[in-house]
Amino acid sequence: MNQLRSPAKNQHPLEQYEICIKGYLDHRWSCWFEGLAIALKDNGETLLSGPVVDQAALYGLLIKVRDLGLPLVSVMRIQPEQTENSDIQKGEQT
Amino acid sequence: MTVSARPITSELPFLETKLYLPKWSADLVSRLRLIDLIHPKRKLTLVSAPAGFGKTTLLAEWAAAVPTRPVAWVSLDQSDNDPALFWTYLITALQKIQPSLGERSLSLLQSPQPPSIESVLMTLLNELTAVEEDCVLILDDYHVIETQAIHGGIGFLLGHLPPQMHLIIASRADPPLSLARLRSRGELTELRVSDLRFTPDEAAAFLNQGMGLEISAVEVSALEQRTEGWIAGLQLAALSMQGREDIPDFVAAFSGDDRYIVDYLLEEVLQRQPERVRRFLLQTAILERLSGSLCDAVTDQNDGQEMLETLERGNLFIIPLDNKRQWYRYHHLFADVLQAHALMEWPERMPGLHGRAGEWYEQNGLFSDAIRHALAAHDFERAAGLIEQMWPTMRRRQRETTVLGWITSLPDSLIRNRPVLSVAYALVLLNDGQLDAVEARLQDAERCLAADSQDPLAVVVTDDTQLQSLPASIANARAYRAQALWDVSSTVTYAQQALELLPEDEEYERGTTAALLGLAYWTSGRPEAGYRSFAEGLAIFKQMGLPQIAIGGTLILAQMSMAQGRLHRAINICEQSLQLAAEQGGPVLPGTPELYLALSEVRYEQGDLAAASQVLLSGETLRQQASLSGAKFLWWVVQARLKAAEGDLETALDQLHEAERLYHRASIPVPDVRPVAALRARLWVRQGRLTEALGWVSDRGLSVDDELSYLHEYEHLTLARVLIAQYRRDCIDNALDQAIGLLTRLLETAEAEERTGSIIEILVVQALAYEAKGDLAGAISSLERALTLAEPEGYVRIFVEPGTPMMQLLREAITRSITPTYTTRLLTALETWGQPQDDAPTASVVPSPQPLIEPLSQRELDVLRLLNTELSGPEIARELVVALSTVRTHTKRIYSKLNVTNRRAAVKRAAELNLI
Repeated sequence: MNQLRSPAKNQHPLEQYEICIKGYLDHRWSCWFEGLAIALKDNGETLLSGPVVDQAALYGLLIKVRDLGLPLVSVMRIQPEQTENSDIQKGEQT
Repeated sequence: MTVSARPITSELPFLETKLYLPKWSADLVSRLRLIDLIHPKRKLTLVSAPAGFGKTTLLAEWAAAVPTRPVAWVSLDQSDNDPALFWTYLITALQKIQPSLGERSLSLLQSPQPPSIESVLMTLLNELTAVEEDCVLILDDYHVIETQAIHGGIGFLLGHLPPQMHLIIASRADPPLSLARLRSRGELTELRVSDLRFTPDEAAAFLNQGMGLEISAVEVSALEQRTEGWIAGLQLAALSMQGREDIPDFVAAFSGDDRYIVDYLLEEVLQRQPERVRRFLLQTAILERLSGSLCDAVTDQNDGQEMLETLERGNLFIIPLDNKRQWYRYHHLFADVLQAHALMEWPERMPGLHGRAGEWYEQNGLFSDAIRHALAAHDFERAAGLIEQMWPTMRRRQRETTVLGWITSLPDSLIRNRPVLSVAYALVLLNDGQLDAVEARLQDAERCLAADSQDPLAVVVTDDTQLQSLPASIANARAYRAQALWDVSSTVTYAQQALELLPEDEEYERGTTAALLGLAYWTSGRPEAGYRSFAEGLAIFKQMGLPQIAIGGTLILAQMSMAQGRLHRAINICEQSLQLAAEQGGPVLPGTPELYLALSEVRYEQGDLAAASQVLLSGETLRQQASLSGAKFLWWVVQARLKAAEGDLETALDQLHEAERLYHRASIPVPDVRPVAALRARLWVRQGRLTEALGWVSDRGLSVDDELSYLHEYEHLTLARVLIAQYRRDCIDNALDQAIGLLTRLLETAEAEERTGSIIEILVVQALAYEAKGDLAGAISSLERALTLAEPEGYVRIFVEPGTPMMQLLREAITRSITPTYTTRLLTALETWGQPQDDAPTASVVPSPQPLIEPLSQRELDVLRLLNTELSGPEIARELVVALSTVRTHTKRIYSKLNVTNRRAAVKRAAELNLI
């Protein structure tokens, strides 16, 4: 989770999302997915995670996932206060 | 800095390539098992699967399988989210089936004042119904459509699709249509991933025959499993394996890897290409469509055409868009992946590539694409300049939605320094109903105009031909906004500003100003002044060669005339406009059926219910045949009043309910001087449902002490009627005195504003109030004034509707020799008023006003006329030179539209509806 960017101090904290897809995605795709962090999981899935400006931006990301033919596994919002222990939750929910 | 440039006046380009039916070649894997699943007799086939599952190829094969079957094809892209553009492409595609098909709907769509999309679609459906043979419309890449209005239109089309028409939608996501309903009715065929993915046999055929590889069954099976039958993945795998010696090793390595297939394989494929091919692919990946010349501009080379043909031969992600080897596109999936690669490899070069693409499009007159690339290149100055130049053309073509999309992509600071663009922004916002956002933009423009001389560096104008009329446009935009909010004094202030600012030769804006002023006067209770100004505006449009605007505005002139109590004038102007409309020829112009609507209202006021019904039907029939919707709710209001006049208050209330459902307080500048809810309260009073009527009074917060305004006059008159009824029931003196006080004030106001139509109605209600009170002298005095004012215009309804109390007053008037001839006529009319038309002598000519939900097509009308003869089915078929089965199809449709089950009933119903 330390890969997540922290939002600027003078703004409302942005919503954090995790998008899980099947297959390993190269780290270089980060730019295509608006700078989301890319993390590979042991089970052959990839987690795209990071701040998302709003719902429209989230749908934009999901459409990019769809348009690459990547099988979508899950989409989760992470509560900012849960950020520290979200690694555990993530493991349970995916 | 002021940079001058010519405004762009060229026609918007039409991309023929979007209608190109992709070629299917026998080298590809044939998918007969899927071809057979598509039932053209069902309404819809949905091919729904992610990118790279061969949706387009499958449909190309399906179309090629029966070459004689007429197919219309549209490849959609992002820009088609503008409904006007979407429907233009769709209808033009249908013209490939039959060149004359959709002529009327297309001309409606492209008319200067297009009617609602629903009207256009009704016309289109009528035209489609006339097509004799089975035909198919294919919409490819439907997932790019995000506009709800387009989904709504497709849903409407599907709901009314003629039986010989089949729709196929290919999409990466299920479209938001009522799929479950279609499914349950057996009207939907679905082809999804599970159907589309390659079976092991298909994978083997593809790899070995299609791609010319020699791969063992074991390896084919491994590849098929690794890709899960994903065709794009298999294609990439094949490209990676071409010319390889170590295929088993490659397959083993690929199978044991978890990477995203495209990541794994594309790298392989790109690395195996010569450097110039690789470079070309990455540079041109940003292009939605590719031609040799465009590629040359973007790559700064001159081998574009050769490269495109090389890619085509090598099966490298490219799809021809015509059969001239002129335009191509990349397979969307690979275009995305190539773009992502390019972005990773040369992030700093991307704006330059977009910039060069934009320049090429600009030089080739494709401004929408030029703007798109300029925006992608973040060259906002250039984009802003192009948008500014495109604005007049886009405005004439009603493409405000697209312009709104462009402008909102620009940084705000840049818009704010451009006065022409700021005003364009304000106008597209008004068009979008965003009234609150308009003023800030207009102020920006004004700030720029004021600063122009002192600080010229800050202000940017690309097209200074628009500068001259800008101050007047700003004032008109403000007037429009104010009038849409029914803020009369501001409307008048801004309209007068506009008049002072208008350049001599700026006729369109001048006409707009006069019309807006007219609406403002009417809203403020001065319909006569409103009439004069509005008529002046319409005359300007007519003189400019825009008679359709003059015709469309006549309904409003007629309403103003009725408010003024000038029934004869209302008839005259409607008849003149009908004449003008007839002189235009061509398709029925929007606003023409509404002329009949206005005529019907006048006849109703004059007590000629038979004529009112007949005129209304003529209008309704015309409206359905021409598929023009107009102000739909008004049709229900007029029908409801006629029903009520026949005494059928329950049906009338239902019709008012429908009217209310259809009425939206849209952000348009026309006042609602007769709210439907008030009319309903009046019907409740007539039914004795006083509790409901009083409920309406309290819901509306109406009181006899309210400050009076013309916008609420109809409600206040209704309140007075409710109070009188309350007095008659409960004998509360207070209620009656309150009503009389309110009426006195209403009368003073109407007299001060010389509004004869209002004066007559107020006097009638006043007479009823005095009558209820037992003050005969007072009642007769009011009635006498009303009769004297009403006689020249032939008012009847208003005197006869109240029934018994009025009968006594009219008899009294006769004994006093007040307008004796007129009064006698009113008494006669009163005797039959409010009775079912069956008992009236005019019964046979008053048909059911319930309109057809779905209009009959021209062909169906032809068949219908022959059904009204002695001819048998085969004879009708011979007469129309069509197959008997076609006649049967038409007949079935006719029965269903007329809601009948046999020939005799169809003929009877058609006669009632004046269809034959």
